[in-house]
Amino acid sequence: MWQLDPETIITIITILGAIIGIVLGAVIPAIMEGMAVKKALDGIAKQPDAANDLRTTLLISMALLESTAIYVLLVILVILFANPLLDRFF
Amino acid sequence: METVVPQPVFTLFGLTINQTVVSTWVMMAIIIIIAILIRKFKPALGEMIIELINSIVHSVMPEEIKVSKYISILGTMAIFLLFANIFGIFPQMLSPTANINTTIALSVIVFFSVHVIGIIEKGFLRYFKDLASPIFIFPLEIVSQFSRTLSLSLRLFGNILSTDLIVAIVFSLIPFIAPLPLAALGMLTGVLQAYIFLTLASLYIASGVEIQETEKERKALKQALK
Repeated sequence: MWQLDPETIITIITILGAIIGIVLGAVIPAIMEGMAVKKALDGIAKQPDAANDLRTTLLISMALLESTAIYVLLVILVILFANPLLDRFF
Repeated sequence: METVVPQPVFTLFGLTINQTVVSTWVMMAIIIIIAILIRKFKPALGEMIIELINSIVHSVMPEEIKVSKYISILGTMAIFLLFANIFGIFPQMLSPTANINTTIALSVIVFFSVHVIGIIEKGFLRYFKDLASPIFIFPLEIVSQFSRTLSLSLRLFGNILSTDLIVAIVFSLIPFIAPLPLAALGMLTGVLQAYIFLTLASLYIASGVEIQETEKERKALKQALK
């Protein structure tokens, strides 16, 4: 029979949670940023004179949209490499 | 993981000195030497850099504010970040901003400078009255101040640490040519994050300084002009 001590259970749940979290946290911001680029390219195609303003706004907005994806990455790094619940790290 | 957690380098009077602190000292020396050389041999280059920072801050703040009072603090942080973010490209070195203490320190500086500059410009009572213009906005303003500061530091830390970590991992797998495109991507990310930090910090300072006229004052102004 399996002998699952709490350490193993926490490790398994951590791995599963990390995989689901990083997949969702990488795909959803990417789709949303693609939609932002689509609208910006539409705007540049309609009015080529405003290309500089549009490009600056697009760049700043993408860096701000990226920040929530970075938060997900930080939490995943913490629970994989410095998990406070496991005895290995504390 | 050992290469991206700061290792103690030596101890000095009982304090352990981290790798991050040594990186910051080396970077300070490089910036000071470059600044002295530019001032002696080619002052036009220094003027160009200050013009660039000036134009970036001008494009964000509204026109009534005189920008030259805030250029010193904003420009200092911008130049520091510009050199600090791309410092990870030297082998075996960590960027100073890959440590969360550095980025939290910078965003705490921005947080305090917003309030102090607002109080100096507008006076103590006027500043808090502008924060609470409709009275139910006041708790939302408090929460948004803290969340803006936290997000500023975490965005910078997460971007720089992730690119350094990727380069370190790929370097331990294939040391030859594979880390090069990732290091170039890391440099691009670093410069972009410095620009984003400068833009956001100047935006927060502008939102603290600008004078919001209430409806009564606007009507009184229209009456006076008629």
